[in-house]
Amino acid sequence: MLSALIWIPIAGAIAIFLLPLTGAKAKSAAIAVATVPLLWSIYLFTQFDLGNAGFQFHEFLPWLTALGLNYDLSMDGLSLLMVGLNALLTLVAIGSTAQDTKRPRLFYGLLLLVSGGIAGAFLAQNLLLFFLLYEIELVPLYLLIAIWGGDDKRSYSAMKFLIYTALSGALMLAGFLGTVWFSNASDFTYSAVMGQSLPLQWQLGLMVLLLVAFAIKVPLVPFHTWLPDTYVSASTPVAIMLGGVLAKLGTYGLFRFCLGIFPDAWALASPYLAIWATVSVLYGAITAIAQKDIKRMVAYSSIGHMGYVLLGGAAMTDLALTGAVSQMVSHGLILALLFNLVGIVETKVGTRELDVLNGLMNPVRGLPLVSALLVLGGMASAGIPGLVGFITEFLVFQGSYRVYGIQTLLCVLGSGLTSVYFVILLNRTCFGKLDNKIAYFPKVTFSENLPAIALAALVLFLGIQPNWLVRWGEPTATDMIAALPATPPTLTGSVELADLPPAPPLP
Amino acid sequence: MATLTEPTPTKNVIPPSTHPFADIIHRLEAGGSMLPDTPENLKQIIGIYKAYAVPMDFYWRDLLYIAERVFLDPLPAFKYFLPQSYLDLPNHYAGDTADLRIWRGEAEAHPELLEFMEKGELGKKLPKIFHHLWHDRVNMEFAEACKQAMLWHQGMGGRFNDYLYTDEYKANCDQAIAAYFKGNPLMLTLHKHFPDLFYEKCRDLSYYSNLGLFWEVMAPVFFEMSDIYDEGGFKGVPDAMDFLVNGIFAVAGRPIYHHVYVGDECFELVPKSKAFTWLYEAALPYVEAVFYRTAPFRGTKSYNAQAHEVPGDQKDFHYGILYADVFPVGSAGIPPTLLMQDMMHFLPDYLRDYYDDYCRGDDDVLIQLGITFQRSMYNVTSAVIQALRTALLYPLDDPNPEHRLANRQFFEAQMDRFLRPEARLRDIQSQDYR
Amino acid sequence: MATIVDIAVNTEGFSTLVAAVQAAGLVETLQTPGPFTVFAPNDDAFAKLPPGTVQTLVQNPPQLARILTFHVVAGKYTQAELLEMGQIDSIEGAPIPVRTGLNNTFEVKNATVLAADIEAENGIIHVLDNVILMG
Repeated sequence: MLSALIWIPIAGAIAIFLLPLTGAKAKSAAIAVATVPLLWSIYLFTQFDLGNAGFQFHEFLPWLTALGLNYDLSMDGLSLLMVGLNALLTLVAIGSTAQDTKRPRLFYGLLLLVSGGIAGAFLAQNLLLFFLLYEIELVPLYLLIAIWGGDDKRSYSAMKFLIYTALSGALMLAGFLGTVWFSNASDFTYSAVMGQSLPLQWQLGLMVLLLVAFAIKVPLVPFHTWLPDTYVSASTPVAIMLGGVLAKLGTYGLFRFCLGIFPDAWALASPYLAIWATVSVLYGAITAIAQKDIKRMVAYSSIGHMGYVLLGGAAMTDLALTGAVSQMVSHGLILALLFNLVGIVETKVGTRELDVLNGLMNPVRGLPLVSALLVLGGMASAGIPGLVGFITEFLVFQGSYRVYGIQTLLCVLGSGLTSVYFVILLNRTCFGKLDNKIAYFPKVTFSENLPAIALAALVLFLGIQPNWLVRWGEPTATDMIAALPATPPTLTGSVELADLPPAPPLP
Repeated sequence: MATLTEPTPTKNVIPPSTHPFADIIHRLEAGGSMLPDTPENLKQIIGIYKAYAVPMDFYWRDLLYIAERVFLDPLPAFKYFLPQSYLDLPNHYAGDTADLRIWRGEAEAHPELLEFMEKGELGKKLPKIFHHLWHDRVNMEFAEACKQAMLWHQGMGGRFNDYLYTDEYKANCDQAIAAYFKGNPLMLTLHKHFPDLFYEKCRDLSYYSNLGLFWEVMAPVFFEMSDIYDEGGFKGVPDAMDFLVNGIFAVAGRPIYHHVYVGDECFELVPKSKAFTWLYEAALPYVEAVFYRTAPFRGTKSYNAQAHEVPGDQKDFHYGILYADVFPVGSAGIPPTLLMQDMMHFLPDYLRDYYDDYCRGDDDVLIQLGITFQRSMYNVTSAVIQALRTALLYPLDDPNPEHRLANRQFFEAQMDRFLRPEARLRDIQSQDYR
Repeated sequence: MATIVDIAVNTEGFSTLVAAVQAAGLVETLQTPGPFTVFAPNDDAFAKLPPGTVQTLVQNPPQLARILTFHVVAGKYTQAELLEMGQIDSIEGAPIPVRTGLNNTFEVKNATVLAADIEAENGIIHVLDNVILMG
């Protein structure tokens, strides 16, 4: 049942590599291939048992049992959402690809390979399998950035991305190996709280390894420096995949492997994680304000918004974690929308410079629909009520305020700063007077607009009907929180709950 | 009588100009237009003259109808509902009854106009009121905006405006007002106590008449130019300009007047005997007011007068079509989209095809034709400049260097007006501006 | 001595001017004692105007009269007197600039005087090679 999500894109990728298809046909074929996993994911949504907080749709094939590596798939609410997001954004990414992309078969093939691999990573129930799929993404992504990248720095950016992610993989492998060795597990099969038997110091050490590994992927400050270069160098569809889906592998890893395997250590570290999240949020927002390149601005906004996810996880309340899980989806949708639109603006106008762009809202010679959607995307990102960004951020804040009041308030401030840079972006880009001298942009065709329209519709719909998003992750989040220790453990273990002052009543 | 065609000067009797627009000045001195002489430009401007002439045929009739019949109606809700008598009103310069038959058009309203008035853009024959309310009609608001510009800028040469403040004019108005509001004590009392109210309204209406009489001539001129082009008659842009120059001279002496009809009685607010002429009292003020000055159009770009974004002196206004940012959101002294919309209904096929090939085709046809219109008005302005040079200065091939220098200074003074950055003279030199 | 009108009528090359003066109803005025200074464009000058110009003016006497009175100045001024003044107001109201051109020609606005100082009973005539216009 789940294998289809992995193997259909990969089989499609191979078919597209091999078949002699030209530009437009290759795109149609890729869209056809990518539609199948999306439909399949939708089917899985309908079949998913919300009453069961555990893993469902189990699939198991022994592979290299000697190594403890098995083909072991399953999904819970978190995986389900991520898999759905992956399938959707893969389609969006293909839809956002320029018609005249060079070497289209290779491009679409690699993109589908990435998509299939990511789906596998989200579904993997074996640590080693997760690691393999996580690492294997690097090759196609490196090629996608290095070959089809949009600027002169693409080789540099691709290499930077490769080094960072390889480092992340190495740390992750170390973490996984340590976990399995020290916990005396028979193989790499994932099971929650498998690290709990270890001494807290060991747990903490292993978790920090994984934390850094995934923090690079998310990325969180100060491991973010690869992101602006990579996102900006990557072409629009690749940026969508990177920001919309691949970054989610990082937060997924944080929740699944850090929080899931080492709940005690997570609980211990959570105050620091909350501070870390706050720093990321504020850093991302303030840096975004200073940007002159709209793609770079959106890239930095991504750093800020991924911080909310960590905050939600750090708060360790089911509300906050539900919010964090939902925020992963909403961020994916909004970021994909923004990258898609920025990509269209860049293609049509020929620049991403804030100082050059102007008046795109012009109904006749501008890009009015793109501008309108950009406004919507900006509003969603800034957390305007009625759009999906509001719901998820609100859940995170609501859930984390009682635990980390100051950090939450600072993150709310970060949310306010989001409005600042989006107002700057929208004001310069969409409003004002279109300059006659440059205003001979080609028309945006409906098919070019379609991915953004679909995403915008989803952003709006999930903003009005958040239950359609939130309910999938809620049981899983509740379950994860239930596994956490009721009291934060301490390394010395000397402080008991009774010694702590009672929590202040909520207003 | 010789048709006015300009021979090219044989030798340079004066040194070349050092003006920033020296190229254009030399072109003007060689009998050319400000608009470069290319077949593409010729096609564009002639096509747009034709598309302009059809609504203009409505504008002038309705302007005269409002000036002569609607007059001081306090609620002129139906002033754009042109009665048949005004549609049949014979043009003084077209048709068999013309005073001067040098243009071939018919005296009555143009058939394309009548067809449009009947069916509109919807292509359905509906009661007029529905077409009106749906705004599926000729945009008289544009014509009124032009009139407003002339009224507002007033003293721009000619004696028309001065006359509107004489006792003679006021006495004429009194008679017409008394007759018009006969049996309406309210209005008569109002006039008695606040006479300036209706005087000012009459002045406004006199400008309606002024502009109507001006356009009555221009419509057949533009139709004729389109016909000549269709027959393969114009060799280039200068030919089209010379045709306009000749046209300007031919009707220069046509009287400008304002008659008001109350019932069958005619009141001459501005009698023909005041000797106001088409050239001095209508054409030149029109060009100045509408082509150069007008007023900042309240589009989506707003102007802050306190921040000196609008010149303090009316003569420094520069919002006319020659300076206009044709984008509907930009500035243009006339409600630009209204005219573009009107012209779009009557584009000749060759121009429609031409626009389809560029930019966004049908989607931005209004802008494309607006920029064509701008080009065409640079040509009209060139014709006015050449006509003034002919009337007031010297032939282009005058061997006398003093005379040639006078011509040069005149041209340079005219080009000085396009030095300001808003002017589109530089833009229209290139075909890529569209 | 003949009046200005008489001279125009009896001199060859002024038939258009005479017809125009008649059409504008200015004959009687120009036969009054005046005195007037008349800048008289000859037939060639009128012929330089594009077609229709004269016809339209002839159809509209007040307008024609206005153009013609721009060629008339109240008072009797010889070439020397005019050149000294530099500019003089016409009966129409608009000023007429006068100057000495290249090679000592006598220039009135953009016209050159072909024959100056033709004395008449009620004024003086200067023959122009151009119809001059206000502005």
